[in-house]
Parts: sequence; structure tokens; C-alpha cells
Amino acid sequence: MNWIVDFKRKRRDLSRCSALLGGLVACGILFSTTIQAAVTEEANVDLDFARQILPILSDKCFVCHGPDTRKKNFLRLDSFEAATEDRGDYQAINPADPEKSELLLRIHDTDDPMPPEDAEKQLSDSEKELLSQWVRQGGDYAKHWAFVPPTKSKPAKTDETIQNEIDGFIHARMRESEADFAAEADKASLARRLALVLTGLPPEPEQLAAFMGDNAPDAYERLVEEMLSSPRYGEHQARYWLDAVRYGDTHGLHLDNRRGIYPYRDWVVKAFNENLPFDDFITWQLAGDLLPNPTLEQTLATGYVRMNPTTSEGGAIPLEFQAKNNFDRTETLGTVFLGMTMTCSRCHTHKYDPITHSDYYKLFAFFNSTSESSMDGNSYEYGPTLKVPKDPASWPAWEELLAKRDRLLTRASLGSAVSSEALMSYAEPRRGWSSSDWEKTAIVGLNDPIPNSEDWKEVKGLPGKARRNPVPRPGKAVYLSFQLAVPADQVLWLSFVGGKASSVSVGDNQIDLPSGSAYEQQEHLVPLSLEEGIHTVRIRIAGSSRSGDIEVRLKNPWDQVAKSKALDKLDPSDRLLLLADPNGPFATLNLTTAAEAIAQRFFAESANLTTSLVAKDLDKPRETKVLRRGEYNLPIGEALEPGVLKVMGSLPQDAPKNRLGLARWLTDRENPVVARVLINRVWQRIFGIGLVRSPEDFGVQGQYPTHPQLLDWLAVEWQDRDWDLKEMIRLMVSSRTFRQSSQWRDAVKDPENRIFARGPSHRLDAEVLRDLGLWAAGVLDPHMGGEGVKPYQPSGLWMALAHPASNTKQYVQDSGRRLYRRSLYVYWKRTSPHPMMTLFDAPSRESSCVRRSRTNTPLQSLGLLNETQRIEMGRMLGERLLREGIDDNTRLDLLFSLLASRSPMPSERLACQNLLETMRQRYKNAPDDATALLSTGEIARDTSLEVSEHAAWTQVATTVLASDVSILLY
Amino acid sequence: MDTSGDDSLSERRFYPPLLINSTTTNTMNPLREHELMMTRRHFFGRSALGLGTAALANLWDGNALGAAGTGIGGGSGLHHAAKAKHVIYLFMSGGPSHLDTWDHKPKMQDMFNEQLPDHIRGGQRVTGMTANQKSGLPLAPSKYKFTRHENNQDGVWVSELLPHTAKMAKELCVVHSTFTEAINHDPAITYIQTGSQIPGRPSLGAWVSYGLGSLNENLPGYVVMHAKSKFPEQSLFNRLWGTGFMPSDHQGILLRSQGDPVLFLSNPDGVTRSDRRAQLDTLAALNQAQHERFADPEVLSRIAQHEMAYKMQASVPELMDLSGEKDDTFELYGEEARNPGSFAACCLNARRLVERGVRNVQIFHRGWDAHGNLPKEHESQCADVDQGSAALIQDLKRRGMLDDTLVVWGGEFGRTSYCQGNLTRENYGRDHHPRCFTVWMAGGGVKPGITYGKTDDYGYNIAHEDGTPMDPIPNKEKWTPGTMHIHDLNATIMHLLGVDHTRLTYRYQGRDFRLTDVHGHVIKDLIA
Repeated sequence: MNWIVDFKRKRRDLSRCSALLGGLVACGILFSTTIQAAVTEEANVDLDFARQILPILSDKCFVCHGPDTRKKNFLRLDSFEAATEDRGDYQAINPADPEKSELLLRIHDTDDPMPPEDAEKQLSDSEKELLSQWVRQGGDYAKHWAFVPPTKSKPAKTDETIQNEIDGFIHARMRESEADFAAEADKASLARRLALVLTGLPPEPEQLAAFMGDNAPDAYERLVEEMLSSPRYGEHQARYWLDAVRYGDTHGLHLDNRRGIYPYRDWVVKAFNENLPFDDFITWQLAGDLLPNPTLEQTLATGYVRMNPTTSEGGAIPLEFQAKNNFDRTETLGTVFLGMTMTCSRCHTHKYDPITHSDYYKLFAFFNSTSESSMDGNSYEYGPTLKVPKDPASWPAWEELLAKRDRLLTRASLGSAVSSEALMSYAEPRRGWSSSDWEKTAIVGLNDPIPNSEDWKEVKGLPGKARRNPVPRPGKAVYLSFQLAVPADQVLWLSFVGGKASSVSVGDNQIDLPSGSAYEQQEHLVPLSLEEGIHTVRIRIAGSSRSGDIEVRLKNPWDQVAKSKALDKLDPSDRLLLLADPNGPFATLNLTTAAEAIAQRFFAESANLTTSLVAKDLDKPRETKVLRRGEYNLPIGEALEPGVLKVMGSLPQDAPKNRLGLARWLTDRENPVVARVLINRVWQRIFGIGLVRSPEDFGVQGQYPTHPQLLDWLAVEWQDRDWDLKEMIRLMVSSRTFRQSSQWRDAVKDPENRIFARGPSHRLDAEVLRDLGLWAAGVLDPHMGGEGVKPYQPSGLWMALAHPASNTKQYVQDSGRRLYRRSLYVYWKRTSPHPMMTLFDAPSRESSCVRRSRTNTPLQSLGLLNETQRIEMGRMLGERLLREGIDDNTRLDLLFSLLASRSPMPSERLACQNLLETMRQRYKNAPDDATALLSTGEIARDTSLEVSEHAAWTQVATTVLASDVSILLY
Repeated sequence: MDTSGDDSLSERRFYPPLLINSTTTNTMNPLREHELMMTRRHFFGRSALGLGTAALANLWDGNALGAAGTGIGGGSGLHHAAKAKHVIYLFMSGGPSHLDTWDHKPKMQDMFNEQLPDHIRGGQRVTGMTANQKSGLPLAPSKYKFTRHENNQDGVWVSELLPHTAKMAKELCVVHSTFTEAINHDPAITYIQTGSQIPGRPSLGAWVSYGLGSLNENLPGYVVMHAKSKFPEQSLFNRLWGTGFMPSDHQGILLRSQGDPVLFLSNPDGVTRSDRRAQLDTLAALNQAQHERFADPEVLSRIAQHEMAYKMQASVPELMDLSGEKDDTFELYGEEARNPGSFAACCLNARRLVERGVRNVQIFHRGWDAHGNLPKEHESQCADVDQGSAALIQDLKRRGMLDDTLVVWGGEFGRTSYCQGNLTRENYGRDHHPRCFTVWMAGGGVKPGITYGKTDDYGYNIAHEDGTPMDPIPNKEKWTPGTMHIHDLNATIMHLLGVDHTRLTYRYQGRDFRLTDVHGHVIKDLIA
């Protein structure tokens, strides 16, 4: 059998490298060692403790002799001091006389070996060899590389063609393997790659054409700038962050109900687009609420803290979930920022990494004092929440309005403007007021007379929201009436939604509706100036384009003043109404008009608000103790103060012991891991693979960086550049490393591309596959932000799983433009995400994911070729080709130009042409089939196009969309 | 060097795809690809020509470790000889009442409405639903008649709610002493299916797929069905058949009774099978051209996946087409088996799937969460599952398939012996009860016709032989004889499939994760 020969030959080749011997036989290892052999060529000069020895100790010895050794005085091998300790009759490592080291003796001892014969993990020969060598060299310990803060070194200037330091480091490493850069990718492929990597979409045809015709030396740089400044950039980059922080639109556990959190997602997009310095990006998310006078965005960003899945299952024990929610946050912090698995230390001191049981709970303590209840109440507004406009574009205006309101209130200084006696003596008589039952008419024409009294019916729910009593459509009206009893002369504020022709009367007096923005927006806030006594109020609600139930509210802020006996308990907006009261004690300040104008706008905007979960701390922190075995009901020891992992330094001196202090530590220059972990993930999304290939684990058991100096350089450079992310991405995509061709290189034996001697190449993510198709078909809706969208989905998927009481059991598909929004905005139900996402390796977002798998399955083929949205894309793309091209050739050119940024190769053209001919014949003979195919999806087909021709092109487009021409990055 | 990748086969330790496959990087040298192919042939223990490149690619790209065993053909296991090649797990979501089905407590008949004695409760926590109820914890004896059925020991008592299953007594291995720590649905079902109460870990089925791969090339290796119930209470979650941090190709594939049996299986309207053939030929040509440009072996694998999809489009409808089933099938499973989505139909599908080489089938049946009106709900639930479960065993047996097919029946916990809500002799409700519940297994190498473990006279605690309560605490070093923690159940299922649960690991975040975490003991007493 030939393969044995092959295998043996390979083995002989490799055996030069003694360190690799042990791994050859194991199937999994064969691959990685072969790669090593090809590109690393270990030299046995100085042993690198962190890289060569510590992983062995950690994997094979620490299980008993590690940081979590339970027995007192048991030998530990995780520090030099412990390992060299004189233990009476022996020393594990004897630096003075290495041959007498117990460790050395025992690993070779056949009678009483270490690890013991029954241990799960045994040492390989090569590992024994390495350990022996190390002990003989004195058994020096060094800190694990990731726990030592990075420093910048200068790359060797290997070549004058290198673009920047990145190339310097990469090239130096290539040289060690006697390789060189690959040729630069062709211009078109490079444009496609750049656009996909930065924005998640291919270059626009005009962009591509301009770039192809631009021979200026800075043409590429200018294209980079275009991509970096596209709003699509932020959307695409945000997606990776949302995977890491496990963003979802539902609570995630049990009922898996809706959760109000999408403004956080929109903030992440905005932050990437505006290139918010990354230290701020981190700080705002962890502790924006604790910054002085936090802005709307700083507060919104704390949605990060609230992202853990939650439950409100009947019978669940709150204390248990208080612990579980914080386990989740602590461990997610570990994955997202520290590249550390924290889970082990929940129950006991970490076996491998120097993280103690109490370290874990000190970190846990930062999160344990947030004020939300541990049960979500299955509520969308699982407080604390922040009210924000649904559309992120309105955030600045809203914030400005709030600021204006606050400035006015500050200016008015209500507390000192009127004595408290005067205030209370005005408020007290005005407490307590009541309204009778409400009546309404049927919906009548706008100009019809008011219906007779017998046609009035009682209506439940007012003041407030009268369910199942819709606001009339334009051209119609409805009348409401009630009696209002007020105890003294005063102003009451009436609000409701209605068209321009709405009106209010008290008794026989018609009240003028205030004009202004509120009026235009069909929101009305009407001051009713009333004398003591009983009044009949009648409202005519004119038809409005805004749908929804009738909502009428009455506000008497004096009542609240009288009840709470203080002004500061009142909501600022209610204080504004006090100020706006023309008869009240504050009228003398002459601010009534200004206050009412703001109140009007404020009220109008309120209808466009939604809520987003945010973090807030309790006034008095919760006590945190170590939990034995991670059991919520088994606290042990003293109460702990919040604190950071000892092995990664300490809280900066003046940092508060709260989440803000935690953020200070994360963004501190002394922090050894955060910048490395984050920049490694940036590298991973630009180049397809990280410099550390276990981006979720920088611990002792993780992978050693392929380019440690480059990683460190990037981490420090980023901080030197004030955490400017676009700068770093600019550096990466400008590098010669990025610009190389992705073509396979026979001469470079590096299948995993560990030395980056060719450009990135891999299958695109689920979201990109969908967006790219929608874009090519010309149906992608560029609208940004807002509530998650629900595209086509096979029916019954949610119902099959959902609790009958869940408010996400019915998948109500959207229609119109919302079907064609970017995939970033697809509604994320955590217990059942969209199947086309799951099919292409999107995570569930129940837990943090910093690296998606890239699988290859038959079900993906079915999805690509049969799913409704894919077919609709195909036929819309077919339509576009028919419209924009003049013959088969120009149409195929356009198709390939859109999807591959190039013309088809002859073999590709031939394959497509063949399919086209076959399908033309086929659909000419079966026009009904053609019509059926062209009826898939919501958009009506262009009936001016010949049906069989359109169907044939649909098949060609669908096929090319599913092919590697489209679905790969290259 | 990377020592984490340095190991030898004799230790049979396995690494995540980070090291062993191409999910992180999909560009490989054709020469190396050839080498891999060769290695695969060796591991599969049979000629690649016999199995076809597509299947190989699938198995491998699925990171299936079964490849590393002694070959997949015989399903002979990963670490040791397998007793079972297949597993069919009938999951009763919501928590069936052991007290009204399998755990006969005659003494409780005289204790109607008496309070659960403190010494029995032993200070155990009670869910928030009954912790403060005014009536306290009044005992609710089962209203159902139990009958003793001959097995291979002293017989097994089964309630009148499960007349068909009772007749299978000689095949069943009934474990009365199953227990868990989780007290609410979401954590409990996540725990029993993934080994952790907090979401994020791979499911039992994903572990089986990862460890053993697939046995056929036309159907998915791991299939999940949802059976209809009149009381679809409580939620299910994708995570129960999901892959957590493992690559997503190990996830359970839903076989649905509504729409396409497998998502996106059918061609769109106006596209025939021969149209699809023409599309696939074009796809292959396009992908081949791409391959010539980039020499990326993933491309070839993708061509194979498209072909597999094409085969599935034929094999799945064939699977779902019951016209070839003889009348006696429907006598056995009941006419209900003709009703798509019924539990009986799912059982029949399960047999057909296993017959076609699918390794792992799970049927989820909801509606067992009987906090109130237990009799009405459980009567309906039992009627749903009884005949189908019994028929499945019989059917497998008469086809000679029961020997290597393990059938498991059970929920995420049991129900309390005290009543929740109003209590009468005829009507009552029961709260969640993690401290003991009944799971039965059949076939696949378990001892037939036995019962195992017992509970106290109240069905509240697991009990010693003499009936005195015990309080087993799961301990990774020591197993308490007579008990079956859910980790033990999973360890035992894995063992029967030829997998050592302590050695099937997946490295993520520097840790070698296991289905059973650091727990679980194979219960040898249950194995034939």
C-alpha cells in the first residue's frame, strides 16, 4: 500500500526535528506537526520556557501539581520557588545539581513514573526530552508570555518594498522559512477583497470602474479611505462585536421573550463608523453610566453589561439567577477582553492558568451590584432602561432637547425660586382630582355632525390607552367626552394623538390647539386652564396617519408635588410643566412660553422613543463571597471587594472599585492582554486567521502566536495611536501582506498559511452571503438601525419550540423593504436564530463567540439553491442583467463583475452559456414552470420581460450566486 | 513548537478542529490533501473507493473522530467495542410524573392529603411555585391502577396509563433512581442534554456526531423530530441539539412534519430534478475553475457536498414515503402513525431512519409539565406516546435491530409526590421534582427486563434497598450504587456507543471539555 510508504517517508523527513517525534502518529497532530515541520524548523538552542516548557507542565503536570493543588504542602510546579523548594529528601528541580532533580528522575522512571501510569495524560518522548533539557539548563521559569505587558520592537528592514512594520515582521518570518511575499493580487480581486473585508459588500460597480481606471500611485489608498468612510463599514465591523458580546433580541432563556436592546446594536454600528477610540468604546460599555454626566450614548453602551441571557421561569430562585447572571458576565468578560477561560475558577482555582477561586469572585463582584432584578419578568422593558429615539439619526436632536430642558430647569432653579411654603400652599389645594367614565362616538366622517347622545358608548381604559379603539384613519374622526372635577383653579395637561383637525372644548369653550412641531407630528399637548368645579371636556380626534390605539393622558403635576412634598422627586418633564403653568407660582419667572414649547416638542418626540436595557449600580453594593463549587447557596469566607486578576496586574491606583475602575484596568497600558486580544481579533477578521489562532484563549493552554513580535507591536502601536481602530485597519489593509495574491503556492509548504505568504481566502459568513446577493440583485435596502427585521423563514420553526406564553412563538414575517435590509438587522431570537444564519455557522448568541467555525455541509447547498430569499435574489439579479445588458456576453460580464469583480474566464463563460441555453429551451417548453419560478418571493416580476428568458437567467444567476465565485473571499 | 499538538495515538486524545481539520483555514496543499485522504482511508479501515469521496469528505469535514476508531462500517466504537450502533432518544419534555407511570407507591394511598413529612423532605429546596402555598405540601397518591408485569427479575409495576409499553416489560431496563440538581425546565433540560445548566455547550447528539461520525452518506447523521402534543407547554431550544462551541455541522437536523421534511429540501416551484442536475453541473464547472485558480481543496469538498444534497433530495422523500410499509406496521404503531408529526409517526420515522443508517435520532414530545390537572394532561400525553414507544421496540426487535439500537425514554426531571394547587382523589397537580425520576432504556446492550434503583415510600427520595431515603451527592470520584445521576445516564449512553465519556474531549478555551464535565460514571449494572 502506497500510503504507508508515503507516511514513513514523511516521518523520516520529520524525525530530524526531535521535538516533533511524539506527535506523528496521532491523527489530529499529524496535520499540525507537518505544518510545523514545513514552516518552523525548530532549532534546539535556547529553550523558551513560556513557549516550550510551560505548555507541557500545564497540560501534563498541573492537573495535580498546579495552582489549585488542594493538599497542603503538596508539590507544586507552577513557580520556580515551589519547584526548587527543599522538600527534605528531595528537590523537584535542583538547579545546583540538575541530575539530582526529582522531576528529571521520575519522568524517566519506569517503576514509579510521573505522570503515574494511570494518569489521563502522559508525556511523549519529545516532551520528556524537552523537560530534561530544561531542567539541565537550570529549570528557569518565566511568566507566560501573555501575562507580560507587550513592548514594541523594531522589525528588521528586510526589503525596500515593504509597506509598513507589519510587512517587516511578516517578511522576517517568511525569510526564516526561505519564502518571500507572493505577487500582489490583481487589482480587481484586491478591490473585491478590500471591500468585503471592510464593509461586508463588494465594491460598487462605479467604484470598481474608477479604481480600475485610476493609475495614480495612491489609487488604492483612496479606495481604502472610501471603504473606511462608508456607513457599511460600521455595520460590518459591528457584527463581529455582536457575536462576541452575544447580542440577541430576546432574553434567551425559558420563554425567550422579546427584549428591548436594539439601540445598543445601533450604537455599536455608530461607534465603529465614527471611529470612537477603542478605550472609550470599552469604557462606555462597561461603565458609561458611572462617568460624570453620562451622555445618551455612554449610557446606551452599558447595554453590554445587560447582554447576558435571562429568565423568569416560574419557580426559579432569584438568588440562584443573581449568581448565574454574573457567572455569565464574568466569563464573557474573560473571553471578550482577557482571552481567558474563567469558567474553571467558578468552582475552584484554575488548573492551568494562575487564576484563583477568589480572583474569580473579585471580578464577579464588579457586576454583582447592578440594580436590575435577577429575573427579567419576561418583560421587554427589563429595567433599568433608557428611553431613546428608535432611529439613531434622531439621537443627537433628542439629546439636545433633553439638554435644553435641563438648561431651562437649571436656569429656573425651581427649588429656590419659590419658598417651599408658597409652593406647598399652591400645590396642596390642587391635589386630588378625578374624571368620570369616558364615552365615545363611533367613527364618523371628518365633517359629519357630532352624533346624538344615544350613539355614545362607554369606553374602558381612559385616561390611558383604550385598547381595540383605533385612532381613526385620515378623513375620519371620533369624539370623546368626560367630566373632570378639579378642587381649585388650575391648569391640567391633556395629551393625545390625532390629526391636524383635532380640537378640544371645555364646556362651550373651544380651546385653541397649540401650533408648532407637535402639531405637525399629530401629537397634541393641550393645557386646560380650569376653574374649581366640574367641567365637561370633549375631544375631537381627527384622523391621523399614525396607527395605534387611542391614547389620552391627563397630567396634574401639582398633585404630584402635593403628594411627594418635594420637587426633586418629580420627573424633569413634570417639573417643566410646573414651569409652563401660566397660573402657577413659577409664572413670575416669565419662562412659561419657553417651557411649554420644550414640553410640546418633548411630548411629540416621546412617541418615537423605544427603550434599551442599561446598567445602573445599587446605592449600596451587594455583598460578594466566594461560592463553594460555584453553588449560589454555599458562600464561604469573608466578603470580597471587587478586584482584578492578580496575574494581570492591579487596579490603577486611583481607580474606583466599581465597573469604571474595571474599565480603567482594561484600558490601562500596563494591562498585558486586552490590546493583544482585541487587535488579534481585528487581524483575524482582516486576514481570516488570527496571529493567535485560539483567539478565545491566550492562557497557558492556548496557542502561541505565529508572530509574537508583530502581535505586540500592533497592540502597543494601537495604544500609541490613542486606540484609533481605523488607523490600525488602514495599516493592515495597506500592507503588502494583505495585498498578496491568495493563489496557492506550491513552493511554500504552508497549508494553514501560518507565515502569511499569500492573501486571505475563505468562505464568507452567513450575513455576507445574504447581503451580497441582495446587493447584486439591486434590492438591498440601505436603511440603518431600528427594530430587528424578519425576512422569509419556513413557517412553524418558532412555534415548534416556543412556550405557549412566549411572545416570540409566532414568527410574523415582515413585508416590503424590511425583507431586504442588511443581515445585521435580522431579528435574533436566541433559542432559534434564522435558519440561514445557523446553517452557515452563525452562533446562537447565547454565549460569547469570537471565532466562527466554517463548515461545509450538504444542507448549505440546499439553502443556497432553494431558500425563498435566495431564489428571489436570483430572479431580481436575472432581471437586472436583462435590463442592463444587451446580449448574453455583456450580461455574463455584468454578472461576474458584480459577484467576482472580474469578467468570466472562458471555461466559466462556457459553463454559464450552456446552462442558459438548456434553461431557455426548457422554459420555452414549459412557460408555467417559468412563471412559477418567477413568482417566488414578494416582489412582482417585471412582466415586460419575456418569461422563459427571465427564468433562464434566474437559474444562471441563482447558480452563480451559489458558486464559489460568489461565496468565497479571495 | 506547539506542544499542545504533540501527542500520540495510543493515548487516544483528540483535538478540536483548530488542529485537525480545515475549518479554520481552508487552503491546503493538494499533496497534503492526498496525504490526508490516505490517512483517512487507513482510519476508516476500508477502501476509499468503496465509500466514495463525498462520504469521506463529509465525515472528515465533520471532524468526526469515529474515523480514528477501528472503522465505521461495523459501528465498532471509538474507544472500545460498541454495544449500540444507534440511539433513539424519546425525550418527554416537561418532566413526566414517575408517580403516575413507573414508580408504584401503594403506601401513599393511605396518606391522601397528609403533609409530606419533614424527615422525608429533608430541608430540600422547593420551587417558588409551591414553596409558599397555603395548603403546604399535601401528598397526592396516584389515581391510577398499577399492575405488575413479568420481566427477567421480580417484575415491574406499570400504571394503566401505559398499557402498551407495559407489555414490553421483558425488554425494558427501568431506572427508578435517576436524579438531577436542576429544579426548573430551562436549566434542567439544558443540563440533561448538554451537561451544563448554562447554555453554550454541545449537546449529547453533537458529542455523538463528533465522536462517531455518520454511518451513511445520504442522510444526516443526527436527526431531531418534534412530536405533536395537545399541551405544548414549556419551551424547547435549538441548543438542545446544537453544537455550542463545536463546529456547527454536528448539529441535529430537524425532520419536520410541516413543509419540507428537511429545511430547504425541495426545489423551488418551476425547478425540476433535471433542472437541478444542470445547475449542479454548472456549479461543479464553476467551482472547478475556482479550484484551478486557487487550488483550494475545500472547493472540491464543496462540490461533493452539493452532490450529497442532490442525493438527499431523493433519499429524504423516500424515507418519508410510507407507502411501502405493510399493514402490520400500522397495526403495530397504530393508525395514528399515518398522521404526520404524531409521536407514533415519529417513532416509525425513527425506525426507518435507523434502518437507513442514521446513527442518532431524538424525538422531543412536549406537554408533561402538569402543575395542575395532571390526570387530564398525562392521560393525553401517555396516549400520545404509549403505543408508539412500545411499537418501536417490537419493530426493532422483529427486524433484528434492537440488539444494536439503544432506545431511551425519559424527561428532564420527575414530579412531586405532594400536590400543587387543589387536591382531590381524582384531580391534582404536581410540581417539578429533581431528586428522583424514572428513565427506561431498551436494546443496544442494556440488560433487558430489569428494574434498577428504588425510591422511598413517597417517591420523594432515592432509597436504599431497605427503603430508607438516601441523599446521593454527585461525586466525580465515587458513584453511589443504585443511583443514576443524569451525567451517569449520559456516560452510560456514550459507553454503549463505544465511547469513553472521560476521553472524548474537545478543546475550547484551553480546556478539554467533556459532555459529562468532570462527572459521570458508567453504570455497569445496567449493561448486559
